Amino acid sequence: MEILVNGAARPLPDDLADPALPLLWALRDLLGLTGTKFGCGVGACGACTVHVEGEAVRSCVLPIGALKGRRVITIEALGSAEVPHPLQRAWVAHQVSQCGYCQSGILMAAAALLAKNRKPSDAEIDAAIANVCRCGTYPRLRAAIRSAAAALA
Amino acid sequence: MKRRALLVTGLGAAGALVVGWGVMPPRDRLGAVDALPAEAGEVSLNGWIKIGADGTVMLAMNRSEMGQGTHTALAMLVAEELDVPLARVRLVPAGADRLYGNVATMVTGLAYFHPRDTEPGRETTPAKAGQWVVAKIARELGINVTGGSSSIVDGWEVLRLAAATARARLLGAASIAWKQPAGELVVRDGVVSHASGSSAHYGELARMAAATPTGEVRLKRREDWRLIGTAAPRIDAAAKSDGSARFGIDVRPPALLFAAIRHCPMIGGSAGAVDVAPALALAGVERVVRLGPYGGSTAALAVVGRTTWHAQRGADAIKVDWRQRPAGGLDTGDVMAHLEERARAAATNDGGFAFHSRGDIASADAGAVRHVEQTYRAPYLAHATMEPINCTARVAAGKVEVWAPTQVPGLARTIAAQAAGVAEDAVAVHVTYLGGGFGRRLDVDFVGQAVRIAVETGGRPVQLVWSREEDLTHDFYRPAAVAILRAGVGADGLPITLRVTSAGDAITPRWIERGVPSLAGPVDTPDKTTSEGLFDQIYAVPHQRIAHVVTLSGVPVGYWRSVGHSHNAFFVESFVDELAHAAGRDPVDYRLALLKDAPRHAAVLRLAAERAGWPGQGRSRPLEAGRARGVALHESFGSIVAQVVEASIDNGRPRVHRVVCAADIGTVVNPGIVAQQMEGAVIFALSAALHGRIDIVGGVVQQTNFPSYPVVRLAESPLVETHLVDSTRSPGGVGEIGTPPLAPALANALFALTGVRLRELPLRLAPQRA
Repeated sequence: MEILVNGAARPLPDDLADPALPLLWALRDLLGLTGTKFGCGVGACGACTVHVEGEAVRSCVLPIGALKGRRVITIEALGSAEVPHPLQRAWVAHQVSQCGYCQSGILMAAAALLAKNRKPSDAEIDAAIANVCRCGTYPRLRAAIRSAAAALA
Repeated sequence: MKRRALLVTGLGAAGALVVGWGVMPPRDRLGAVDALPAEAGEVSLNGWIKIGADGTVMLAMNRSEMGQGTHTALAMLVAEELDVPLARVRLVPAGADRLYGNVATMVTGLAYFHPRDTEPGRETTPAKAGQWVVAKIARELGINVTGGSSSIVDGWEVLRLAAATARARLLGAASIAWKQPAGELVVRDGVVSHASGSSAHYGELARMAAATPTGEVRLKRREDWRLIGTAAPRIDAAAKSDGSARFGIDVRPPALLFAAIRHCPMIGGSAGAVDVAPALALAGVERVVRLGPYGGSTAALAVVGRTTWHAQRGADAIKVDWRQRPAGGLDTGDVMAHLEERARAAATNDGGFAFHSRGDIASADAGAVRHVEQTYRAPYLAHATMEPINCTARVAAGKVEVWAPTQVPGLARTIAAQAAGVAEDAVAVHVTYLGGGFGRRLDVDFVGQAVRIAVETGGRPVQLVWSREEDLTHDFYRPAAVAILRAGVGADGLPITLRVTSAGDAITPRWIERGVPSLAGPVDTPDKTTSEGLFDQIYAVPHQRIAHVVTLSGVPVGYWRSVGHSHNAFFVESFVDELAHAAGRDPVDYRLALLKDAPRHAAVLRLAAERAGWPGQGRSRPLEAGRARGVALHESFGSIVAQVVEASIDNGRPRVHRVVCAADIGTVVNPGIVAQQMEGAVIFALSAALHGRIDIVGGVVQQTNFPSYPVVRLAESPLVETHLVDSTRSPGGVGEIGTPPLAPALANALFALTGVRLRELPLRLAPQRA
C-alpha cells in the first residue's frame, strides 16, 4: 500500500499496512513524520490533526484503508524554513507555544480554517479550534490566528 | 543514608527555619571543567560554560523544558553576563554530576517556615542556620529536579557567576595577549576589542583563557542589563511551530520497536493468570513482558510490536485475570468521608500537626463576638500532560541508553540501572523536550518499565507509550483534601483567631519512597506540601493554629502544578471572602485591612484591583450586565499573585471572561515568559476549577480520556492580563504561582453573582452535598 503524504507517494510495509491502521501511526511509526502528535487516540484532543484534501482531519481515528489515494499534508509541509506559513510566522510573533506538543495539530486546524475563511469570527475560530492545549496557549493562539488572517487578507 | 534523610526532612519539625539558599556561596557551585567535557575545538571554562571555536557560548543545561520557558530564561542570564546575543548561546545537555542538582527546590520544598521569619535581611537566626544546613545537604545530594518553580531561583546567582567568571578569564587572556589593562577592554556581541585596534572573538581567546587566572569577578550592575528584564523571544519558538521540536515520543533510534502497556485496572492490583496467545497471534506483535511495580506503579503487562498501534492492539487482546490489591479496592467516596472525619475530630481536640501557631487561641476566642466555621473539599486530580507518558530505552552490551521526557534525569538513571541490573555509570539519560510536565514527570515509573521491556528485546531499542486511558487511570494524583476553617471575629468584623484543620495524604514521603528509596525514613516527618498555602498565609490574625492531619489513603499521590497551594489557596481565600461578606465589607478593602504589615502583598492586591476596575480602587469600571468579579490573593514559591476574575452564568454553567493578574515575582528575567506562564497557569487552574475530578470505585479510576476528564478549550478560555510589580529583590518562582488564586477568585465571583457559596471543587452550580 502507498499513501500520498506531503506530495510524495510513500510505500508502507505490506505486513504492517493493515487497512485499520490509523494514519497517525503510519505517519509517526512507519514514515518517521513525528511532527503529528498522539494525544488521546479517540479523536478528542486534536493533537493529531492533519489535512486530507485540505480538510482538517484527526489522524488517530482515520484508518489508512479509508484514504483511497486522497492527499495528506502534515505539519512538516505546512510551510518551509525559507517560507513559513503565515500562521507559523504569527505563532512566533505572538509567542504562542509553551510545551509545544499540541501546536502542530492546532496549526493544521487553523490553516484549514483560514484556507476557507479569510475573516473568521471568534465563534468560527472557537468552532474550528476544538483542540486541547494543557499549557493554556488559547488567548495567544486566537490572537495569532487573527493576525495571520489579516496578513492573508 | 537514612539518618541523612531524616536530617533533611526533619529540620522543619525540629523548629529550624529555612527559606531560600542565599547563604550558600554560589562559588561552591561553579564546578570544574571535567563536569562539562569539551569536544574538538571547544574549551570548557567551568562546569557550566564552554566556548566553541567560532565563539559560540555553550551552556550546560540541567533543567528540563516543559513549556515554562526556562531554557530561554536561563540562557538569558548567561548571555547577559557574557555580552553575547541570546542566539549565540547554545544549550548542551548537563551530565549526571551532582553539580547540576537543584538546591533551591530542596531547601524551599523540604522545610516549612512562615514568611515573616524569612524576609530577606530580617531572617531569624535559626532561619539562617537552617538555611545553611539544608543548602549544604541539598548540594551534597545533588538531585537534579525541574520543579517547584525553582529553576531561575536556583540558577540566578550560579549561572550569572559562571558566565561572569568565564568573561573575566576571556578578558584576562586578551589583556595578557595584547598587553593592555583589562579595564580598557570592551566586549560587544562576544567580540573583545581595545581602542588600540586589537580585536578577537571569544573562540579565539578561549584556549588562553582556560590557562588564565580568574582575577576579579563582578556581576553586571542592574542598570547595565541589556537582556534581563526584556521580553526576549523564546529560543524554542520556531521548532515548536514547524513540527521539528523533538519530544520523548519522537525519538527514533535505528531498529526501534514500540511497546504498549496495560496496567491492572485496579490501582495497586496485580496480574494472575495471563493468556498471551491472542496477542501473539496478531501481525506486528513481537512479545509480551510482565512488569512488576516500578517506581510506585501498578503491575502491568507490556506488549512489544512493530508500531505503537500494533503493540496496543496486542495489549488489548491479552486475557488477564486481574487481582485486586490485598487491602481491597480503593474508593474515593470512602477516602473523602475518612478525611472529613479525621479533620473534624482534630478540629475539636487540637489534633493534627500544627505547622504554625501563634498567640493564645483558646483564651482569645472568648473575646470574639461571633464565630464563623466552614468546611471545604477538593478532589483528586490527574495531570493529563498533552504528551502521553513515554520513554525510549536501549539495553545492549551491558550499557543502557534512555531517552526520556523527565523532570528528574538522575532518578531516571537510578531506576534504569536497577531495572537493567547494571551500575549507574553504565546508564546514559538523554532528556528530550517535555510535552507538559506539571509534576507528573517528577516520577520515573515509566522509565523503569521501558528499561525492563528493553532488557527483553535483544539489544533493539524500544519506545513505551502509554495510551491516554492508562495515563488518566494510573497517574500519581493531586491528593484530595478536606479543610475546616474557623475564625473568631471581633466587633470590627476582622478575625482575632483562626483555626485551620486540614486532612489529606502527604506527597513528599510517598515520592521519596518510590523515587529516592535510599532516602526514605522509617517514619514520615511532617510534609510541608500538606499545609503550604495555609500555615504560611500572611493575613494579620493574632491568634492562629494551622494544623494538618496526615492520612494514608493508598491512592498514589504526586506533585501537581502548585502542589498543596492548588487546593489550600481555595480553602483560605474562599474563607477570607466569606468573612468579608459576613462583616459587610468589600472583599478587597477587607483583605487590605488584614495586610497592614504586609505592604508587598497589599501592593499586589491593589494593582490587580485597580487594573480590573474594582469599585473603590482607582478607576472603577462598570461591568456588563450579568457579570460579577471575585478576587483572591496568594503567595507561593516566593512570589505573590492577586487575581480578579470576571464571570457570568452561561446556560447554568460558570463562564470566565477575563482574569486580571498582578504579581510580585521579584526581579523579572523575561516578562513575556512570565505573562505566558500566568495565562497558562490560570487556564490550567480553570480546567480544574470547572471540571477536574478523579473518582475511584473498587480500585478503578472512572475518568479515562478527555471526554470524561474534560479540560478547558479555546471556546471556554478567558482573556488573561498580567501586571508585574517593579522589584529589585531576587527572582521568585513563576511557573506555578498563577494557579492557586484562580479557583477561589472564581468561587468568590460566583458568590457575588448568585449568593451561593461553593465550598467544593470542582465548582458546580447545582446543589452540592449538604
